[in-house]
Formats: sequence, structure tokens, C-alpha cells
Amino acid sequence: MIDLIFNMLMIFLLITAFFMVFTKDILTSVITLPIFGAILVVIFVILQAPGPAIAEAVIASGLTTFFFVITINKTEYEQNE
Amino acid sequence: MNRINVISKKLYKIGLVVSLAIFLLFIFYDIHNLESNSKRYLSDHYISEGVQETGAINIVTSVLYDYRAFDTLGEATVLLTAAAILSFLVPITKDKMRGTPFTIIVSQTTQVFIPFLAILGMYLIFFGHLAPGGGFVGGVVIALIPILLTITYRVEFSEYKFKPDKKKVSEDIGAIGFVLIGLLGILTGSNFLANGQANVSLGDAGELISAGLIPYLNIMIGIKVGAGLAIIFNSLIKEK
Repeated sequence: MIDLIFNMLMIFLLITAFFMVFTKDILTSVITLPIFGAILVVIFVILQAPGPAIAEAVIASGLTTFFFVITINKTEYEQNE
Repeated sequence: MNRINVISKKLYKIGLVVSLAIFLLFIFYDIHNLESNSKRYLSDHYISEGVQETGAINIVTSVLYDYRAFDTLGEATVLLTAAAILSFLVPITKDKMRGTPFTIIVSQTTQVFIPFLAILGMYLIFFGHLAPGGGFVGGVVIALIPILLTITYRVEFSEYKFKPDKKKVSEDIGAIGFVLIGLLGILTGSNFLANGQANVSLGDAGELISAGLIPYLNIMIGIKVGAGLAIIFNSLIKEK
């Protein structure tokens, strides 16, 4: 059962990563980053690594999103078509 | 002609990513198949002797703040340099965030949320040698409080609550305190940042006050990272 969940999470990780790279809208890409981080946290917990899980949850899902939002706010945000 | 150009450019990017992925896959495969007994003696030593030598149950913390504490000092210095240069370059004129103002839901949720963040950050710092966490992660959680205040309300309110001068002083206290705690090892006749070798009493492994100097190093790193990230964020948001 845990193997099935693990493989499904890996597939979701790939899907979110490709979506994050190839999407047109930059705001969608930034908001997809915490989803990627949250899936990665669950994978780290399944692999019995709680230290990297906490670091990933705090830094990737919290801090990096704030910094990217500020960057988009400071630069010119244009919606591509 | 133009269409072929665009397609070839896109294929070039995808091919670059795929080739890098294959390269990394081979490297990780080779690392995974290293001979265990000849090249992993150091990690075996950490796992088998770490609790007796440092007194910290969390082996990651025992590596970060005892065996490799000098590297941690280097990372902290990088953050200190970045915060110092950014606060040096910050302009006098204040720029505002663009966009729509938030509704009352966001501000009320922020007020409810902040005590939980403070408790979580303090827990991660103080229990760094017993549970997963540590100074860096706890400091980031503490730094999220002024960042939330800055985003939800304005820069002025955040700087009225947390004065920039106090943040700079607390960051300096963290950086200098780390070095002073490290110098304790030299005073007792051992190496820089020595903990168990310098005959510091390690206490019973598993208690809150144990593991010698590791909790105090955790507290210093937590103060430093929290204040440094808050300074960096407020400096960036004031930049035009």
C-alpha cells in the first residue's frame, strides 16, 4: 500500500515539475512551487528523513514563495495571452 | 522557416534537461553502489559513536554543530554578509507594494497565526538536539513573523513593531555569540568549537539541558538567521 502511494506521489511530483517549467503564466508557476514542496515533504517522511522534510516545508513552501511573490510584485507583471 | 526554428529551439531545451537528468542518474547510481566498508567509515563512526561523543540524540545536529561546526560558522557568515550589504544598499525613499489591499479575513488570520509561528520556532530551536529541526529552520520560522506583518500590513507597521536597529543588534549578538562560544574551547585547552573533547559536561543524553554547548549554539544561530532574513526581506521590499 505504501509503495502504491509512494509511486503515485512520485508521478505527481513529475507532473507538477513539468507544469511549473512549461506553463505560460508566471504567477501559476510560482503558486505551483508550494504544491511541489508539499508533495516532496510527504515523500521525505515516507523515506524516514524528518529533518529535510521540516527544512523543505519551511523554506520551499514558506520563504521562497514570499520572495517570489515580492519579485513579481516589484517587476512588471504581464499576462501572456 | 520560422516555425522550424521555434521547434528546434524548444527541442534543444528539452534535450538539455534530459541529458542532464541522465548524467545525474548515472552519478547517483555510482554513488549508491560505493563499497560500504572502505569508503563509509566516517558515517559509520558518526552513527555508532555520535551519541556518546556529543550527547545529542539527533545525529544531524551532532554533525552540524559539533563535528562540522566550522562549516556552520561559514554559512552563518554568508548570511551575515548578505544582510549587511543589503541593508547598506537600501534606499532612503520607501517604495510601496502595488496591488489591491487585502480583505479583513487576511489580517484577522494573520493575528491568529503569529503566536503559533512563535511557539513553533522556539520549539524547533530549543529542541534542536533532541528532535528534527535546529537553529536554521527555527530561525526561518521566527523570520516569517515580520515577513507576514510586512506583506499583510505595510513596511511601516512591521518596522514599528520590530525596529531595524534592534534587528541589526540581535543579528550581531548571534554572530558574535557563536564565535565566543567557540572560543570557550580554546580557553580550556582544546580546539575551536570543541565540545566533548574540551571536557564540557555532556549530561544525560535525551534531556533538555544536555549535549554541552550544542543548545547554546542552536540559540545563537536561530537568533542570527531570524534577524538576518527579516532584514533581507524588508530591505528588498523597500527597493524600487
